[in-house]
Amino acid sequence: MLGLSGGIDSATVAALSSLAIGGKNVLALMLPEEENFSQKDIDDAKTVADLFQLETNICDMTEVMECFYEQIPVFDRKDRLCKGNVKARTRMIYLYYYANKFNRIVCGSSDKSETMMGYFTKWGDAAADITPILDLYKTQVRKLALHLRIPERLALKPSTPALWPAQKAETELGIKYEILDLILYGLERFMTPEEIASQLKIEKSTVENVKRRWIGNEHKRRMPIAPKLGFRTVGIDFRLPRHTY
Amino acid sequence: MKDKIKIALAQISSKREDKEANFQKIEKLTVKAKEQGADLAIFPEMSLTGYVVHDQFYELAETVPGPTVEKAEALAKKAGMHIIFGMPELSEKTQATVFNTAVFVGPQGLIGKYRKMYLPTHSVFEEKRYFRPGYQTAAFQTGLGNIGLCICYDIFFPEVLRLIRLKGAQLIVCISASPAVRRSYFETLTSARAIENTAYVAYVNLAGVQDGLQFWGGSRLVSPNGDILAKAKYDEEDFLTCEVDFSDLRTAETFIPTLRDLRPELFDKLKEYAELL
Repeated sequence: MLGLSGGIDSATVAALSSLAIGGKNVLALMLPEEENFSQKDIDDAKTVADLFQLETNICDMTEVMECFYEQIPVFDRKDRLCKGNVKARTRMIYLYYYANKFNRIVCGSSDKSETMMGYFTKWGDAAADITPILDLYKTQVRKLALHLRIPERLALKPSTPALWPAQKAETELGIKYEILDLILYGLERFMTPEEIASQLKIEKSTVENVKRRWIGNEHKRRMPIAPKLGFRTVGIDFRLPRHTY
Repeated sequence: MKDKIKIALAQISSKREDKEANFQKIEKLTVKAKEQGADLAIFPEMSLTGYVVHDQFYELAETVPGPTVEKAEALAKKAGMHIIFGMPELSEKTQATVFNTAVFVGPQGLIGKYRKMYLPTHSVFEEKRYFRPGYQTAAFQTGLGNIGLCICYDIFFPEVLRLIRLKGAQLIVCISASPAVRRSYFETLTSARAIENTAYVAYVNLAGVQDGLQFWGGSRLVSPNGDILAKAKYDEEDFLTCEVDFSDLRTAETFIPTLRDLRPELFDKLKEYAELL
């Protein structure tokens, strides 16, 4: 079960899923809604679905979203961040409903760049059962996409979470993925901001900003914080196999 | 060596990853300790960096001596104080080999350091993931007397404090970062180690919450016969001074003469059986 947005991450995950279990076993859900409807994204998603012979389903979320806007007493339509997060979480509800109903697992499309930067919605797009490209930086995902024969125009198109019109990931992050990924790669390998800045010939403050954001968002990547009271505590020191099968 | 010394138990809450802020706190409380007539100020395990910093230990670690220790030496000299604090120590010979270290400085400079021997790696602890264990117990002859150092989980191993005592330490300092669920163990063990070694045990624990982990504080000075002479508040920052009267050791050593009654041949057996466990 996966959400297919027409973007590079979900296209890559769709391709990998198809290779792994066959396209007929992958249900790709397209979840357009009025506010940032893009026929081009729908077409791109269909291209991927055709290419990898996926089963598809399309659900227009417009009325559901409108319902949230109307029914949440304090809803502020002008606050696009809060509103956008509702959108990401609503997509999650659709995906998990389908997964639940048809006994599937949700395949997430988070990549390493956005996950390290905390550039995702908690319990929204990050919610998944498996995450095949979580350990690949965006620039690596693009290369993998090309390797998987995803069309170049799709593999190289600017990333967007599509939470509001004209939203662009690189604009919001304030940095090109080509630079961001190298900074994150350096931080991953315990390099200091000085070393990274010197090797990339960029300002140290750029590296420090990325580092601050990476570390400051760890709470989004972990189980909720809990007071340690017991002998072993969920999310802290229970260390059990993830699956019993 | 003095007959009596006054020590300060500086039970602080460290700010994670902020060496500057934590050192400022160490500085302020060292001056306060001096003003209250103390000779020695003791700060908790990893008081310089915070305890729950995970991978950031690599970045925060410094050599000993190194920049922070130099600052501590200058502080000790200026204040005319002895100071013990905890920090991640970077080996001088490598670039990423780190120890969990207690640093001991005095008015004359660096007295010594102790690298934690027993690194807890169970429950919430992941010390072996980051630290190399130390191989030497530490007891230092100072102007204040013979003072030994150990760190937190070391206190669960009676042989560590026994060895420190046999090296001559009459005051054993245990700096700690102990979370709340372990309070009863430490409360028992600090007294037990003092009694069985007829030595003073000064225990200084972190306070406050780091990444959801509550450190229980409860720092204390335990006399050689097990009396708790001073006890800091639970869970929150506290600061208190108390007196170590070395002449009390004579009474304790004669009343329950555990050192006189030591049986060295059992230690050979311990080694033999520990290897067979």
